[in-house]
Amino acid sequence: MSVMQNNSEKAKWYLPGILGGLWITGKHLVKNLLNRNKMMTLNYPEEKYEYSPRFKGNHVLTVKKDGSLRCTACMLCATNCPAECITITAAEHNNPEVEKFPISYEIDILRCVFCGFCEEACPVDAIRLGPEWQTPALNGSNFIYDINHLAFRPNLKGGIQTHVDDEERHKQGI
Amino acid sequence: MPKCTINGKEVEVKEGSSIIEAMQVSGDRIAHYCWHPGLSVAGVCRVCMVEIEGNPRVQIACNTAVTEGMKINNTSDKVKDAVKWGLDFHLINHPLDCPICDQAGECGLQDQYMEYGKYDPEMAEPKQKKHKVVDLGPTIVLDSERCILCSRCVRFTEEVSKTNELGIFNRGDRSEIGTHDGMKLDNNYSLNTVDICPVGALTSKDFRFRQRAWYLKDAETICNGCSTGCNVKVYFNKEGFFRVKPTFNEQVNGHWMCDEGRNVYKFVNKEHRLLKAQVKGQGSSWTEMSAGAAAKAAAEVIKAAAADSLALVLTAQYSVEEFEAIVTTFVKDFKSNKIYFWINNKEAFDNFDGLLVRGDKNPNTKGLLKVLEKHGITATWNELSRGLKSGAIKTVVVAAPENQVVFPDFADRVKELSQAQNLIWLQSGQNEALKKLDGNVWLIPMKTFVEKDGTFINHSGLEQKFKKVTLVVSEALTLTEAALLLAGKNLNIHATSANEFLPLNQRLDQVAVEARKKNEFVFKRGNL
Repeated sequence: MSVMQNNSEKAKWYLPGILGGLWITGKHLVKNLLNRNKMMTLNYPEEKYEYSPRFKGNHVLTVKKDGSLRCTACMLCATNCPAECITITAAEHNNPEVEKFPISYEIDILRCVFCGFCEEACPVDAIRLGPEWQTPALNGSNFIYDINHLAFRPNLKGGIQTHVDDEERHKQGI
Repeated sequence: MPKCTINGKEVEVKEGSSIIEAMQVSGDRIAHYCWHPGLSVAGVCRVCMVEIEGNPRVQIACNTAVTEGMKINNTSDKVKDAVKWGLDFHLINHPLDCPICDQAGECGLQDQYMEYGKYDPEMAEPKQKKHKVVDLGPTIVLDSERCILCSRCVRFTEEVSKTNELGIFNRGDRSEIGTHDGMKLDNNYSLNTVDICPVGALTSKDFRFRQRAWYLKDAETICNGCSTGCNVKVYFNKEGFFRVKPTFNEQVNGHWMCDEGRNVYKFVNKEHRLLKAQVKGQGSSWTEMSAGAAAKAAAEVIKAAAADSLALVLTAQYSVEEFEAIVTTFVKDFKSNKIYFWINNKEAFDNFDGLLVRGDKNPNTKGLLKVLEKHGITATWNELSRGLKSGAIKTVVVAAPENQVVFPDFADRVKELSQAQNLIWLQSGQNEALKKLDGNVWLIPMKTFVEKDGTFINHSGLEQKFKKVTLVVSEALTLTEAALLLAGKNLNIHATSANEFLPLNQRLDQVAVEARKKNEFVFKRGNL
């Protein structure tokens, strides 16, 4: 590997360059001190950027009014998933109106590409891509999210409810 | 032989056949729910509409006989309109719960809806509510809402199984399929009703919710449940086998198969299989090794044994080619004529239920007898018992059954054969009785009928070839391979040591196990 070295006379006069740089830094310092609202940066861990409501972050499984999962284990999300990160095991529900439900629903979040195809494929609005995106963790943590994590996460306070509920749909005869 | 023109093509059909049969011959697509080639004509679904020249209205194809010079068309706008409206009437009370329905992906109604559906129903009334998840019997669950009342299942129990359990009750849009008072849909052919159900109204309890239809691949093979040798399709994916369905073969099974035969996929799956060879000496514990290595070790023992102390026990569960290979090896290489036929249920051998099921629960009894006859072998089991008792027979090779369920005498025979000094046991499945064996035992995993090519000869002497479907236990041997290895010959199979981590198809220059372990995060990601 060859390193290019500029040994010309002109390059020895570095001071103008440094002063030029300092001038720009100083200009921004003064600007930010006088007008703190328009600052470009955030104090990251304390302050967080708010994304638009359409932001596609970590998945959330929605629940019905009684707190049970909306998911019917139809596997359309798993079929549609390009990263093949969704694994569902279906089971028979005691209630004949529900009939089929997921006994396990797992998303391997490290495989997920956050494309949102699962959300689009879902016929019952059971899976959504939520606002949460900062989920760093250590080596040994669990990156395979199960039902308990996806639907009843503590900061969701009992899960997200969809606005149309089954009973109302049945009343309308759908 | 009347000739008719279907969509511009001229077709010659058998006397008295209907238009829909003519269309099957000519290869034209036509939707049909109530019509089934194996059942009588009902003409209730009204979707197989065709236009016949000179006839002012569209007519159903399944109940109209072909006459000479008939001009039939099922692609005109008039027909399409009729089909579209017929479908809309079917869907008035259909819940369209395809996401939950097991039939989704292989549903006649779904296919038809994608092609002809109005997508915007004009029915304003609420849907009629009917019974969901009705337990019809030990094998079947009914969902009345999905039912389109094609009456295929009712006609099946009337005409084929002749058990008459099912009927249509109530009138109008309250009509429902159900079983007669106090009866259960409990016969040995009940699961055929699930196959012929064009929608997801009848579902099999065994298969219900286990897999979606589009995750499964299918392949044709021969059922090894009994000597009838029904032609079947097995459905599988990388997790294993999930169900068995019949395919049409006029000579053997027609359109049907029995419920017992639908269980043959179970012993094929990995959890019931012997994955590695197990070897043990007198008094010591089991050691695991590869099948090839175990067979090689067993070959040493056979080499050292005298020809008259060597015996072979065969069950009629392997293909003709395999029998030929192992019997030839014994007769030619080992100079032993002590080849015995392990018959599982002799007294029930000639039983027949009048439709398909036979008492002989081996797929290839005729084939085995043919091979034994060819080599002039007449040894009986009593000779083996005497030989084992007196100690004349010291080394026994057993080609044990794949389907252990039909061998009620399995444990007794294992006990009897364990009198031999050296026991070379070739078997595909696990069994508790084998774990208790004491003495020198080589337990070698074998391939099942879905993992090899071969021929079965059924009860009537019909030779049926079948092809390999997939590989479940890659290390297992076929009986042909085992015969070669036992004879001390070499076989070009991949033999791996017991602890190797890498799969067989991996190149040597790929990351070694030790290097992978160092990068713990990558290595353990899947199961933390």
